[in-house]
Formats: sequence, C-alpha cells, structure tokens
Amino acid sequence: MGILSKHVGIKFGSPAVRVLNDISVEIKDGEFVSLSGRSGAGKSTLLYVLSSLDNPTEGSVEISGQDITKMNSIDLHRFRNEQMGFVFQFHYLIAELTSIQNVLMPAMKCKRDVELRPRAMELLEKFGLKEKHDRYPRQLSGGEQQRLAIARALIMKPKYLFADEPTGALDTVNAESVMKILQECSTQDKMTVIMVTHDPDFAAMAPRKIVLADGKIISDNATNPS
Amino acid sequence: MIFLAIRYLLERKRQTLLTLLGVFFGTLAFVAVSGFFKGFQGFLVQQLVNNAAQVHIEIRQDYLSDHVLDVPFFSNDLVHAFWNPPPAGVKGYLDIQNPQAWYNRLNADPRVEAYSPTMTAAALFNVGLISVAANLIGCNPNQQAKVTTIADYMIAGKFTDIAFGGNRVILGDELMKRLGAGMQQNILVSVGTNSAVPFKVVGRFYTGSRGLDLQAFAALNDVQRVNKTPNYVNEIGVRLKSYLDADALARSWAHLGPERVESWGDQNLNIQSVFAIQNALRLSMIMTVLIVAGFGIYNILNMTVNQKRQDIAILRALGYDTFDVVMLFFAQGMIVGVCGTVLGLGSGYLFCRWLQSLSFMLATPSNPQGHLHISLDWVIYVQATGLALLSAAIASVLPARAAGKLTPIDIIRQGG
Ligand SMILES: Nc1ncnc2c1ncn2[C@@H]1O[C@H](COP(=O)(O)OP(=O)(O)OP(=O)(O)O)[C@@H](O)[C@H]1O
Ligand SMILES: [Mg+2]
Repeated sequence: MGILSKHVGIKFGSPAVRVLNDISVEIKDGEFVSLSGRSGAGKSTLLYVLSSLDNPTEGSVEISGQDITKMNSIDLHRFRNEQMGFVFQFHYLIAELTSIQNVLMPAMKCKRDVELRPRAMELLEKFGLKEKHDRYPRQLSGGEQQRLAIARALIMKPKYLFADEPTGALDTVNAESVMKILQECSTQDKMTVIMVTHDPDFAAMAPRKIVLADGKIISDNATNPS
Repeated sequence: MIFLAIRYLLERKRQTLLTLLGVFFGTLAFVAVSGFFKGFQGFLVQQLVNNAAQVHIEIRQDYLSDHVLDVPFFSNDLVHAFWNPPPAGVKGYLDIQNPQAWYNRLNADPRVEAYSPTMTAAALFNVGLISVAANLIGCNPNQQAKVTTIADYMIAGKFTDIAFGGNRVILGDELMKRLGAGMQQNILVSVGTNSAVPFKVVGRFYTGSRGLDLQAFAALNDVQRVNKTPNYVNEIGVRLKSYLDADALARSWAHLGPERVESWGDQNLNIQSVFAIQNALRLSMIMTVLIVAGFGIYNILNMTVNQKRQDIAILRALGYDTFDVVMLFFAQGMIVGVCGTVLGLGSGYLFCRWLQSLSFMLATPSNPQGHLHISLDWVIYVQATGLALLSAAIASVLPARAAGKLTPIDIIRQGG
C-alpha cells in the first residue's frame, strides 16, 4: 500500500519545460520522508503530484492501491477529505472563521463537525491555542497560525500528511515546534508524512531522505527499495 | 457551505447591504408600479364590464361601398362596373331578426348570468319651449338592472318604477338639467316624425359621465309604441358569470345570426392598446431595475471570488469539490437575492396599502372617497419573486461557476 508513483513526469507551458522526469518511488505506510533539493528542483511539484493536487502529464500515482490520476472528482475530493492532510508554507486560514471553525472546516464537509469538536479542542490545547479558540487568524502570531493550519490538517486523522516547507515562514523557535509536531504525527499517530524542506537540519530529522535535482531523484536512502 | 457564505456576507456588511438594497428596490418598484398600473387597469375594466353589458348583440348595419353591388347586379363575369353615383348608405336590418331564438339560446347557456333586450330610439324631449335631443332606451327594468349598474346610480326614484303604469321615464341628470324638468312632471317625447307622447318623470340617475347622463330610460313596450315599431328590439345586452369569457362567446355567437356580436373588449379596443403600452412600459422599467440589481450581485460576487482565491484553493485541498465551491458563491448571491426580495415584497405591499389610502382621484359615485386603485393581486407578488430570484440566480451563477473552475494548484503555487 502507501504511495506508489510509476514513471511520473510533468511538463509545463509551451514550449514545454520538463519539471519532473521519470520518477518512480514508493512510500510505505507510516514512513516519514523529507524531500529536499535546490530551489527549482521540483520538490513542490513532486509533492503536489503525489498528493493528487496536480496531475502528472506522464505515469501514474497510486495511493492506498487506487490510481488517483483516474479517480472521478467526487471520489478524489472525498479521499482528500478523509485521508489526506495538507500544510503549506502559507497557512491558508479562512479570515472570516475563528480558530476552532478553521480547524473544523474539513469535518464540516462530511458533517462531522459536532462529533469532532472535542478532538479539535484537544488539538488546539496540544498546540497551545486552547485559549485562542475563538480568535480570528489575524489575531494570531505567525507560529500560532501555522500550528492552527496543522491542527486543521490533522482533524480528520488522515493517513497521509503532506507538508510543503511548513517551517518556511517561521523563526527558529516556531519552526522547531512545528517540526516536533510533524515528528509526533509520524511516531505517535503512525501517519505517513511527506515533507518538503530546504533546511538540511530539518531534512535530517526524517528517517527517509529523498533529494531531487532537475526533476530527478538523485539520492534516496530507502530502507528496503522496491 | 451556507455557513461560510453567511460569514463572508457578514464580513463585508456594507457591500452586502448595498447589493441587497438593489434587489430590495427592484422588487419594491415591481410591486408598486405593477400594483399601480394593474389597479388602474382593473378599475377601468371594472367600470367597463360592470356598468355596461359584457356582450352586445346588436343589429348589423354595414356601410355600402362602391362595388358591393357589382356581383348582385351584373354577376361574376363582369370586369369592372362604373357607378354614377356609386351605391351609398347602409345595408342591414333595423331590428334583431329573431329575438326569441336569441332568448332561447341565452337561457340555455350556463355561462350567461342575465340578458336584457333593449330598443333605443333617438328622441326629442320637450318641456315647454325647451327641447333636447337624446337617446331613449326602452328596456325591461328588472332585466336591465341585472345587466348594467344603472340602478345603482339612481339619485331619485327607483329604476323599476318605469315598469308600472305606462309612459313613465327616468332621466339622466344632465338631460334633466338641460330640460329644467322636475320629478313627477309630464314631458313630451317624440321619435322621428311621429307625434309627441307625454311621459311622466319618475326618476333621475347620475353616473358622472356626461354622455351617459344625457339618456333616458323607459319601459320597452312604451318605447316600441312611441317608435311605432311593436316588438322591435335593436340590442340585447348580456352579462356573463365571468367577464373573461366575453371574447370567446362573442366569437362563437357571431355566426349564429345576421346580428353583430361584440364583447366589451371589442368595443374598447383603444383602451386595450393603452393597456398594452402601459404594460410594455411597466415591464421595461422593471427589467431595467432588476438588471441593475443583478449587476450589483454579479460585481460583488466577482470581486469576492477574486479576493477569496486562497480560500477556494484550501477548500479544494481539504476535500471540498467543485460543486461545494460553486455553491459557496451561488449561495451568497441567492441569500442577498432572497432577503432583498422578501423585504421588497413586504415593503411593496405596505407601500401599496398606503397608496390605496390616499384620496388622489376625483370623487365619483363609484369611488366616493377618490381613493387610488392599487392592485394587490397575488400574481404580481409571484411575478416579482420569480423575476427577482431569476435575476439574482443568473447574476450569481456566472461568478460561482468561474470560482468552481479555479484549480487549487495554480493558486497554491502563486501564494505558496
Ligand atoms: N505552472 C508552471 N508553469 C511553468 N513552470 C512551472 C510551473 N510550476 C512550476 N514550474 C517550474 O518548475 C520548476 C520546479 O518548481 P517547484 O515549485 O517544484 O520547485 P521547488 O523545488 O519547490 O522550488 P522552491 O524550493 O523554490 O520551492 C521551477 O523551475 C518552476 O519554475
Ligand atoms: Mg517549492
């Protein structure tokens, strides 16, 4: 199971520029993977393709045994809702909603917001945001905003957590607390975590390290390559 | 999604309010203007259909034209006939040919409420040295009172008084004034070249319309006798259970005899064309207002979609599909549309009620307070709702669809 990409390639624009080139990689359930490489190497692009946000122009991606490039829109969105969590460099919190409402947004999609409210409060408490649950995003610090975004990604207990430079906009202290949360997702909650970062220290915290250059994997310390 | 749509709307209170005002005034204008015009038209129609018969069966008198007699005189082979002088005058009958057949037909028809045969003669009324020309209408007062509202306009005497005693007449107010006649006075009435016959004035009516008030009513057989045309009837007025059947009935009866059969609508074609112009004016005005209101919604939603691109992107990443995103924006437009419509309908109704209470028009016997006639017909409210919601829906669906087409990845790449 897990995530399996076969000969994935992607080209952009015209004349076409190849950004990913024949990437075949398997990420097993419960792995903590870091994607690193220089700016422009294609890290974000690979993450989006693996997480169904973007469609590859070549090859296929399977998640939990399902080819997500062939799934219909409704199933795909349900799949994202139930099984995937996303964290980006920018928090993408909805300004009109309070902290707790933001966290519960994914639960509202499947009408489980009442049921999951206690879990949302737990997450907020864990991330030090309990007192600020009815504040609006603009009333939070950058670190708090990012932790709130992570809480939102975790509310549905997803199997997969995708993070694109989650510490990119944070100072060291906040960045480290975010890293600690991601590590706990992997160790305590047995989530599959795939994290893009260009910070070598943070990349090193992941047991599996994949390095990209010019749209190709140039190094992968997979424990048992398939 | 409704929840988030409401949050968005509340976050931009001023814009929401302005957009809502657009729909509000659009609906209000629709209700008020339609109520005014429809009320006015309804008032006129009521005057027409209530005061007079709704279907008139009259003698047909066609004008002779230059060549109508070509074929009867010279048969079909003729190429062209020259008449000197050409035929002129009228062709037709002076009375309804078989009134009994009409009575039987009218008695049998379930759509007919009542009918009244009349004999109208141009008469000269004399009091002393004063003589005034006016129509003398012979009728059976019981029947006539069921077909027209004449009996309601009596200001002295009873309309049915002409039925008893013979040679009694009821004069219109105008005719009475011109003659200087008084109640119970004897006046002389002559028709054509026949000698004058004395009639006793037993009543007076006042409708407010000078033409109508320059008429006189007497019993049918009295008028027939004065005119020396016993049993003649030159018109049958018919009242229907529903005045809307008039056109259809007039069409179907037209073929049954040599008489001309006309509905109240046929006799008032000019008014109908005025109504048509009013309706066109009303509709175009209302359309303009609603289009403006629609543009308000469209603009605001377009702006919101652009401002909320990042929200759209994250919603898609969180598992909300295209339909959810379309609904998020469509709902905003429709919430504004529905609230504006409901408020507009309510205020429009109250506004119409207020207009109704104004004494704006000339007081007449049928409208003693001079109140404006404003229609509160539910059809107006259904139409207003339909049009306002339709324009809101069209204005909302376009930006909403555009929002649905945004792909999260493009936005995230830019804003990442
Ligand atoms: N939609 C697009 N159209 C054209 N080129 C694109 C598009 N998206 C990405 N690229 C190009 O693909 C390459 C890889 O982009 P990507 O965002 O994956 O890099 P990255 O490794 O995440 O870099 P960074 O560390 O700066 O985020 C870049 O050269 C970028 O310009
Ligand atoms: Mg990137």
